[in-house]
Amino acid sequence: MTPLSLAARIAFALLVFIMAIPCQADEVTPHLTVGTQEISLSAGYLLPHRLTTEHTTKQSGPALMPSWAMVLTDPIGKSFYRGQLLLGAEIVYIQFQEPFLTHGVGFTPKIKYMFEGTGRLRPYIEFAGGPFYTDLGGRIPEESSRFNFILTAGGGLSWFFTSQFSFNVGYRFHHISNAGTRMPNLGLNSSLPFGGFSFYF
Amino acid sequence: MNPDTLRRLTLLCCATVSLLTTATGCSRWIEMAPLSETQDPGAQQIARDEQVPLIIDVIRTTRNGSPQNTSAETQQRILSSLAELGLFSHLSSGHDGSASNDKIVRAKILLSETIDPHAGGAAWKGIVIGASMYTLTPFLPLEYGYAARVSLELERWDGQLKRYEGQSSGTARYQLFGATPIMIEELKGHVTETCLNELARQLVHDTAFYTASSAPVSHSDIRTVSIRRRSPQIPDASSTPIPVTVSAPADR
Repeated sequence: MTPLSLAARIAFALLVFIMAIPCQADEVTPHLTVGTQEISLSAGYLLPHRLTTEHTTKQSGPALMPSWAMVLTDPIGKSFYRGQLLLGAEIVYIQFQEPFLTHGVGFTPKIKYMFEGTGRLRPYIEFAGGPFYTDLGGRIPEESSRFNFILTAGGGLSWFFTSQFSFNVGYRFHHISNAGTRMPNLGLNSSLPFGGFSFYF
Repeated sequence: MNPDTLRRLTLLCCATVSLLTTATGCSRWIEMAPLSETQDPGAQQIARDEQVPLIIDVIRTTRNGSPQNTSAETQQRILSSLAELGLFSHLSSGHDGSASNDKIVRAKILLSETIDPHAGGAAWKGIVIGASMYTLTPFLPLEYGYAARVSLELERWDGQLKRYEGQSSGTARYQLFGATPIMIEELKGHVTETCLNELARQLVHDTAFYTASSAPVSHSDIRTVSIRRRSPQIPDASSTPIPVTVSAPADR
């Protein structure tokens, strides 16, 4: 199965799942209070960025990201940036299909700021970072060790189908390196467009 | 110490830290502001034929100074609290209409809520907790403050007005993993209950004022009502509510 066909299958599965959700005819306004929990599952496809001439590896492959978060604050701010802060954690699994079939898994605490938006459509930004283990390390010139760290920054849009359920699309920038614990440590940089869904309770 | 023993010890330490963080990071409790000493008037007696109906003209809610729709649950809770007193024969809405010559008491209620979510503190603590991989969760409790003031204005059938006020506040303190929306509802429930208890105490104290025989029905031929723009708060700022501040004892 080619990477693109896998991504297409994931996108199709998500689309089928979304269409199976009964949409409410009346106005949907998510009511996220302090202590509301969010569990979500996102999937995407990792695309390489070679930022310097020393970067040669074109790492790519699908990624799966189950996560949990909790609403920390009531809406803060009075302008367009009015929103709520969420704190959570995420497991990142990446199947590197290029340059070798290898795997990576990490655990990252994450912080997310969800804007109020239109109520039903809520943009968000998020940051995450934590340890990441991959057997790609040591087999490419950019990374010498299997134990690394992953840093993530990105944003997305949440579309609430019901007051408790949302479909999310977004983009993340990933950086993987070992924080200088072993040389060489050029690091791997990637883009990760993704889609997924969240359930709030 | 051989490497295997070292590895086992490391794993054991990690497991212990994880267990401790999870176990101690789930607690939550509610702290209520201390009660001021007030004298309980004790139970009063009222004859059934001395009871008069209470008509609720309006129940208004503000949150942090901003007008809100009063929820059905809040209305029901206030009405139940007044009904449980036994002071009035029955309660009804101001829109029901009643004979103008009846002995009735009319009520206006304002519930003023003040929420202090400590958003800034929660944000900073959240960042620190996340950066520490949640190991600092037990040491950084989060807070959510809620205060309420219930003002009750009662107008007797002869036009005499009395104002009552109960207020209370509390803070929910919780570890990150102990947070749930129920916790906030519990806090609001405790604070509101304290306010309503205080109002009830003051009303019981004035039982004699609301008995049917306490005053004759006004026999003026023309009864009037004020028609005016709605004031921001009812009762208005110039009124002097009975200064009573009471809070329930800390629990949990």
